[in-house]
Amino acid sequence: MQAKDFWKKAYPVIILTAVVAISVTALTYTDRFTRGEIEAQMEAETEAMLSEMFPEMSRYEFANDIYTIYSDGERLGYAFIATGKGYGGNIDILVGLENKDTIKDITIISNEETPGLGTRITEPSFTNQFKGLNIGKVALREEGGEVDAITGSTISSAAVIDAVRKAAQEKVSLIEEGQDG
Amino acid sequence: MAKFGKEFAKGIIISNPVFVLALGLCPALAISNSIDNALGMTLAVLIVLLGANVIISLIRRFVPDITRIPIFIVIIATLVTVVNLIFHARFPDLYESLGIYLPLVVVNCIILGRAEAFASKNPIINSIADALGITTGFMTALLMISFLRQMLGTGSMEVFGIHFFDLPVLKDHPIVMFILPPGAFLIIGLLMALFRRTGVLK
Repeated sequence: MQAKDFWKKAYPVIILTAVVAISVTALTYTDRFTRGEIEAQMEAETEAMLSEMFPEMSRYEFANDIYTIYSDGERLGYAFIATGKGYGGNIDILVGLENKDTIKDITIISNEETPGLGTRITEPSFTNQFKGLNIGKVALREEGGEVDAITGSTISSAAVIDAVRKAAQEKVSLIEEGQDG
Repeated sequence: MAKFGKEFAKGIIISNPVFVLALGLCPALAISNSIDNALGMTLAVLIVLLGANVIISLIRRFVPDITRIPIFIVIIATLVTVVNLIFHARFPDLYESLGIYLPLVVVNCIILGRAEAFASKNPIINSIADALGITTGFMTALLMISFLRQMLGTGSMEVFGIHFFDLPVLKDHPIVMFILPPGAFLIIGLLMALFRRTGVLK
């Protein structure tokens, strides 16, 4: 009688444990089988984005979160990913630098902004403003910079601008440090 | 087969997940601001709901009553993660467009709701019918809401980059509120009221 009681109580625990064990196994194996492909996928994506920004790129090096872009041994510029806090979530931006002072171009990699409003930060009419811009001038026009915010999407625009400026300043000092040492 | 049809059809009107059961309102509110988003979310729900209903219907005889909820949640979360990883590895284009919807499906109570209310008590064929019906109902509701929100909130109709029409005044002066969360509450409320007044829903 007592043994029967025990099994009655233990049964739900055993089943739940079994389900969790199966789930963990399934997740581990899926992760193992897909990891390589996912990494290759992401690398191909990065390379495609970089070569779109630097069409003459022949290869790139990645160190300290900075991509250094080369064309036949000649250095074309740098690129890195900046993250801004937008209206709906994080905004990831690929920023290309021509040299230590000038921005080559920016590409919005991902954003969770309001469709139709904040998502307009991905449009060329906004991102083209950054082309050839001095890092010191990356700020809203009202704040002494040379970038116009999108009407109705001031928060998203400012998030991109601030993220690009901050990341650019930080990475440039890292690049300079690397060259001195 | 008659039973299959019945279980399928009930999801569209009698137990419409959004307008009647009021389940899965969180994604319905968050994602219904454009037709593109509505269709993406529908596809994600279809994949996960079908999978969850099939698995839970298969194991329903072994699931003890007292721990059924944690078991369902573990199964659903595992399913979503596995699907997410496989899509990321094998179907990058699909992953790109579904990327934000799939993780959202975990917290979509339609999935848990159907597991609890239907799949845990019914054979597999009926559970498949239920999943398909509920997804169709979800899609119908999302399409109605997102059509109105996109039209009023942006003044033009564009689906997957294909341009359909522009509205004369709204194109230049869209009522932005409608693509923001308050617009979702208003539209869902008005649609529910309309359906009840006209007797489509009881």
